[in-house]
Amino acid sequence: MGELILQVNHLSKSFGSNLVLRDIDFTVEKGDVISIIGASGSGKSTLLRCINLLETPTSGEILYHGKNVVARGVNATEYRSHVGMVFQSFNLFNNMTVLENCMVGQTKVLKRGKEEARQHAMKYLEEVGMAPYINAKPRQISGGQKQRVAIARAMAMDPEVLLFDEPTSALDPEMVGEVLSVMQRLAEEGMTMLVVTHEMAFARDVSTRVVYMNQGVICEDGSPEELFGNPQKQETRDFLSRFRNS
Amino acid sequence: MNKFAQLGSDIVKLLSKYGGSYISGIENTLILALAGTFIGCLIGFICGMLNTIPCAKTDHPVKRFFVGLIRAIVRVYVEVFRGTPMVLQAVFMYYGLPYFTNNAVKFSGYWIPALVVVSINTGAYMAESVRGGIISIDPGQTEGAKAIGMTHVQTMTNVILPQAFRNIMPQIGNNFIINVKDTSVMFIIGFPDFFAAHRAAVGASYLYFPSATVEMAGYLTMTLIASFLLRWIEKKLDGDSSFELVLDDQLTMTAGTYNHPDKGTPFDERSKEYRDNLTESMKNRNFTARGER
Repeated sequence: MGELILQVNHLSKSFGSNLVLRDIDFTVEKGDVISIIGASGSGKSTLLRCINLLETPTSGEILYHGKNVVARGVNATEYRSHVGMVFQSFNLFNNMTVLENCMVGQTKVLKRGKEEARQHAMKYLEEVGMAPYINAKPRQISGGQKQRVAIARAMAMDPEVLLFDEPTSALDPEMVGEVLSVMQRLAEEGMTMLVVTHEMAFARDVSTRVVYMNQGVICEDGSPEELFGNPQKQETRDFLSRFRNS
Repeated sequence: MNKFAQLGSDIVKLLSKYGGSYISGIENTLILALAGTFIGCLIGFICGMLNTIPCAKTDHPVKRFFVGLIRAIVRVYVEVFRGTPMVLQAVFMYYGLPYFTNNAVKFSGYWIPALVVVSINTGAYMAESVRGGIISIDPGQTEGAKAIGMTHVQTMTNVILPQAFRNIMPQIGNNFIINVKDTSVMFIIGFPDFFAAHRAAVGASYLYFPSATVEMAGYLTMTLIASFLLRWIEKKLDGDSSFELVLDDQLTMTAGTYNHPDKGTPFDERSKEYRDNLTESMKNRNFTARGER
């Protein structure tokens, strides 16, 4: 049992009358690599965005090291700097080069010096194999490369948890591999990760826990062996069988 | 034809007598338009930033009240200054202040009121342009900035506004050109711009049409040069479409497989010998190819 980092209690989120998340209970421990799977529209991404406070939960609480970050008067920006996020559509800053993308958060938010930030950024850019491209602008590199830069940008902030919101869904099959292998390496290095994904192989082989979501609730939560080998609920079996057949 | 000849001689007459005042008029017009556009842009950017302060229903009521208040003030400012003629704003300010304060507050020169009026007028237009520019930026950019813990101001100054600035550059150019022409209404408070030079010249010489021709040519020259320069700046802002690979970095992923251009066996694709052979053979091929022709 690792140290408890995040604890989500009775989290609900609705957009208008549309209830997207219903009473979610969920914990993240240090070193966890959690894959969140489920059909589109089941609330996976919304859960992730709520955890990073990009969406404000309608009710419930999110405890980060025991402190409720949804409460009024909590410094959301400070909390966000501890929780990295990698988006489906990369969201690299278009007005900056690859290197600047990875430095700006460090210099502006963490108040690191230029040189320190540069070295730190380079460390992670090398790790994701993007060091030769530090002078490129985001529009000049491929989707897989953009996503690797986005991972380096998030890592350069030294986050405690890294959230991935369908990191490979916008990529063509050839580029999926390069991003997944970077993520796998991060997982092996002990990074705490929360991955919303449709890559079942990744969920099965890399993650330590798999969460299956259906219609805004956590339907099943367990180790990959349990969930893929012996799913307890009918919905989970139905969902997984669709992947096996294809 | 002789009418044109007469026009030419009249213009020469005008220029020889009032050339200096035309030139200084052009100078004043350009300075006022440039400074007014610049300050107006600053006002516009600030208003755009204030207009887009995020405010959720869950925020503290005091914060929500102030955000609402700021938005209302910006809105009133934009509507009032966009909705009234600049010439009246100038009169209002130049004569209104002394009127209300029994001459206690009045402008001693024409520069400050002219600049203030042009700036806040441009600012009102720019506020809307900047808002449009900010809206046009993909929300993902804001989310990306928020996700690494940036505040609203940091997100704006580092990520959104630089991109919005590029997008509204044509609008800024538009405003500058409009300002070059519209500062002519500042004659009402005695500002000696290019158009005021015309009024002075015709007052003494009665050469209305020749002087108007000079004015037309002058304004058109100024605006043409301005739009040419703006295009050039836009091109500069877009930057180079290519980038440099940093392959000589010792710590890249490729380290170990590829060390230095001059290292390696002669069979190595990147060794010096291989390259030399390659260039040698390329030379020979070119030579024979040319010979056959």
